[in-house]
Amino acid sequence: MSDANVQVTAAVVPKTQKTRSLWSDAFHDLRKRPTVVISALVILVMLLIGFFPGLFNFQGQNPKACDLALTRGGMSGSHWFGFDEFGCDYYAQAIYGAGPSIQLAIIVVTATLLIGGLFGVLAGFYGGWVDAIFSRAVDVFNSIPFLLGAMLLLTMFRDWKIPGLGTRFQAIIPAAITLIIFSWTGTMRLIRASVIESRGLDYVQAARSLGASDRRIMFRHILPNAMAPVVSLIPLSIAGMITAEASLSFLGLGVRPPEITWGMMISTGAGYFTTGYPRLLLVPSAFLIITILAFVLLGDAIRDALDPKLR
Amino acid sequence: MGRYVIRRLLQAVLTFGVVMFLLHYLMSLAIQINGNPVRTFFGDKPVSPELLAATKAKFGLDDPCLSRVGDPCLNLFGKRMSDWASFDFGTNFNRADVSELILNAIPKTLQLFLIVTIVWVLFGITAGVLAAMRRGRFLDYLVRIGTTLTIAIPGFLLLILTQKIIGVWLGNWAREEFGRDSVLGIMFQPSYNARYPWLTLLVPGIVLGIFGIAGITRLSRTSMLENLRADFVRTAKAKGLRQRRVTIVHTLRNSLIPVITLIGFTLADALGGSVITEGIYGIPGMGKLAYDAVKKVDTPVIIAVTAILSVSYMLVNLLIDLLYAVLDPRIRYE
Amino acid sequence: MSDVKIKSEILPDADPTATLLRVEDLRVEFHTRDGIAKAVNGASFSVESGETLAIVGESGSGKSVTSQAIMGILESPPARIAGGEVLFHNVDLLKLGKERARRVRGNHVAMVFQDALSALNPVWTVGFQLSELFRQHRGMSKKDAMARSLELLDLVKIPAAAQRLKEYPHQFSGGMRQRVMIAMALALDPDLLIADEPTTALDVTVQAQIMRLLKEIQIERHMGLILITHDLGVVADVADKISVMYAGRIVEQAPVLETFATPAHPYTKALLKSIPRLDTKGQRLEIIKGLPPVLTNLPPGCNFAPRCAYAQEICTRELPVLATVAADRAAACHFSSEVIQDV
Ligand SMILES: Nc1ncnc2c1ncn2[C@@H]1O[C@H](COP(=O)(O)OP(=O)(O)OP(=O)(O)O)[C@@H](O)[C@H]1O
Ligand code: SF4
Ligand SMILES: [Mg+2]
Repeated sequence: MSDANVQVTAAVVPKTQKTRSLWSDAFHDLRKRPTVVISALVILVMLLIGFFPGLFNFQGQNPKACDLALTRGGMSGSHWFGFDEFGCDYYAQAIYGAGPSIQLAIIVVTATLLIGGLFGVLAGFYGGWVDAIFSRAVDVFNSIPFLLGAMLLLTMFRDWKIPGLGTRFQAIIPAAITLIIFSWTGTMRLIRASVIESRGLDYVQAARSLGASDRRIMFRHILPNAMAPVVSLIPLSIAGMITAEASLSFLGLGVRPPEITWGMMISTGAGYFTTGYPRLLLVPSAFLIITILAFVLLGDAIRDALDPKLR
Repeated sequence: MGRYVIRRLLQAVLTFGVVMFLLHYLMSLAIQINGNPVRTFFGDKPVSPELLAATKAKFGLDDPCLSRVGDPCLNLFGKRMSDWASFDFGTNFNRADVSELILNAIPKTLQLFLIVTIVWVLFGITAGVLAAMRRGRFLDYLVRIGTTLTIAIPGFLLLILTQKIIGVWLGNWAREEFGRDSVLGIMFQPSYNARYPWLTLLVPGIVLGIFGIAGITRLSRTSMLENLRADFVRTAKAKGLRQRRVTIVHTLRNSLIPVITLIGFTLADALGGSVITEGIYGIPGMGKLAYDAVKKVDTPVIIAVTAILSVSYMLVNLLIDLLYAVLDPRIRYE
Repeated sequence: MSDVKIKSEILPDADPTATLLRVEDLRVEFHTRDGIAKAVNGASFSVESGETLAIVGESGSGKSVTSQAIMGILESPPARIAGGEVLFHNVDLLKLGKERARRVRGNHVAMVFQDALSALNPVWTVGFQLSELFRQHRGMSKKDAMARSLELLDLVKIPAAAQRLKEYPHQFSGGMRQRVMIAMALALDPDLLIADEPTTALDVTVQAQIMRLLKEIQIERHMGLILITHDLGVVADVADKISVMYAGRIVEQAPVLETFATPAHPYTKALLKSIPRLDTKGQRLEIIKGLPPVLTNLPPGCNFAPRCAYAQEICTRELPVLATVAADRAAACHFSSEVIQDV
């Protein structure tokens, strides 16, 4: 057994080394590019805002302490973006509005990777009827246009509460589950394709001929390589999920109140755009676009760096 | 060819069946979890159990399975399918005939998607192909920046912004400058106007088209770049063909095959996007039905719209896959 | 009849009595991220009508780049023709305008590529890809062009030609596909055919058939043929002259038989040694110790020196030029006279 292991590792080494140097080449290439550096910084700031909004609440305003007398009040030194229609501090709202969407996006992308990854490995590795079942399931979920399906689910179960969850999760989870249901298929297809490709590779064959178990081959030998294309897509997936959540929020179906999100702020702010309060729309829009843009630029750059021939 | 078509058709039938069943199950589940919607017909008024039972029976909501959470209500599935097949989607909670609502809405949505398709083909593919041919030059960067922006700006936000900026500001200027009934004045409207359907659909249609255009443009570009390097393009040059012929007949033709498939997939995003587009611009299509239904929690309408749009989407993709076999002989003779 | 007239109009200045093709000091570079790669560094050779010139050399020595430069189909950028002349009947093809150069391709000079599966367009029928030549260059009707294409398939001995015209490249076997490539190259009756490893992708028995076909047609039409190959057995069978390329230069040039008997360049000698005596077919020439030089950073002196058994101090300093070593024979080596005698 230990003998077999030695040989298998020997056979694996060139491949992992190649993968690693691909990633480190990409990293060296990326580090030098200004768009990448700036996007990474923006993402870092947004993540901090999303998880520790208090750090950025410089004037110590409470987003939920509102005073109707201050409705749509103008900007000032202690209220950088003025007030919204209910007299809440708009800067605080924007800062506290980052968390739910960003956390939701991270939850969804993680779950998608796990679920899509597992199903993709199973389908690609076993082929045959296992593959057939998963592939048809993908067809089914892809046949329902995402936004419609999400609208349907979230409307039908809008009053449904998951017992035992805190407010934040209570607000996020329904939208998150819906997004996961409609997005695991993409990951699964990518993983499946690269598993099928790596199934035939020499080192996998070597491991197999040395009697390694299916599970060991799948998760130790195939999965690490098959993950590469999906991992490089993580920033783009996060961008996609933030977009999707904002669209749902705009329809009133995303993260649930009392949490605040940029999508909700845009939805209400839109009404005041042409009536003298364009900032109510522009502030959350700017936050949203800058965040998504940062993820998209970083994601594009990573993809290009890993596959430079089509840049 | 025959085998490919048959396999694809069988898959389509299977998928169709499962999707329909899922929708049916969802509907049943929603009733089981949220309670029988017949109650809401009566608002807050007290209602006698007899009347309630009679109304439930009238709307086909009296089956006991509807009160057992998780029961797939298989006995109701057949009936629902035959109703749907005869385009009977029942009544919504305002007791309006859903089928009629939908029939009236279909033409607007079709009109909208005609514009969207034209935008994809005209702008999307052309931009990608030109970018590939001017790789690394100004136009290529412009296309790259453009597609990045369309990915980074969520569709609904783009719609709101264009509605405000083009519809209101630019429109007001145009109406003042050229008159209320000038072409620009009508075209730059903040909302749909039934008197000028095509003109007022143009701006929302283009914006909805831009929504999914990035993928199409980028795939056109990569596909074109890949083929430009292909050996057969070198052969075409060695044959002494004109540059234009090499590009169009021996590169573009090959490059479009995957793009057409992507257009089929992109349709899904655009169908979802039509809800927001028609909602924001007040276009009386299927998207608007769904948009309003969401606000009013009008589940039957959402289900009907989802079912119809899903089926159309499946049909379009089936057609595209069959077209694929015509376009790519390697599949045809598999 | 009219074909001849059309062709003579393309190059009115051509001198039919002059050498069919004379390449003089051809230089091609590629502008890459790592610098300028000098793929061809002053290659000179010539072919007469009815003659077969074999170009051999290790992978990366610049054979394909040379042939594509002659055809005028190098992609630039990244390629740049840095100097030299490609004289076709005394007309420099490198100086022709775009349109004229385009019409030379197919009409006067044609090319057969290595891998016919990728060199033929997968989405068009073989008939379409053949008849397109007649339609574009001769302005023929669809029907006439198809009739000519049918004749071509017969010429290259493809059975059931009429049926096969309607089929797609992937429906052909490897050998049949290569015949289609050859038919395509012969369509407009070119004076010079360049075949870049025409049989490498095929299995051994088919290789022999294809080579025989090429040779037959060449003799029948009195074409010049430039044959790029790794197969010294084939060279011995079909070629009249051989040019040995190393790092973008011709290092030896001579009639085939003499070269094989007494190579004048250490590289040629090593090549000949590297193949087993008995069955010489299907061998690739990559068995010489050491690596070819990096093209972006060519050393001064003889490029072969690091791998050469005959190398002396002068070799790393002075670049040997291609010089006559015997009647009809030239080699680029400071010590070629010793090499030639050393059996
Ligand atoms: N597009 C290109 N960009 C950069 N370098 C190139 C390009 N095409 C060819 N080269 C370089 O030119 C050199 C000669 O290539 P060429 O294809 O002519 O070799 P070859 O002799 O035909 O080899 P083989 O026997 O493998 O076909 C190679 O070192 C290659 O790296
Ligand atoms: S010149 Fe010198 S190094 Fe070059 S081949 Fe001749 S002997 Fe060898
Ligand atoms: Mg070559």
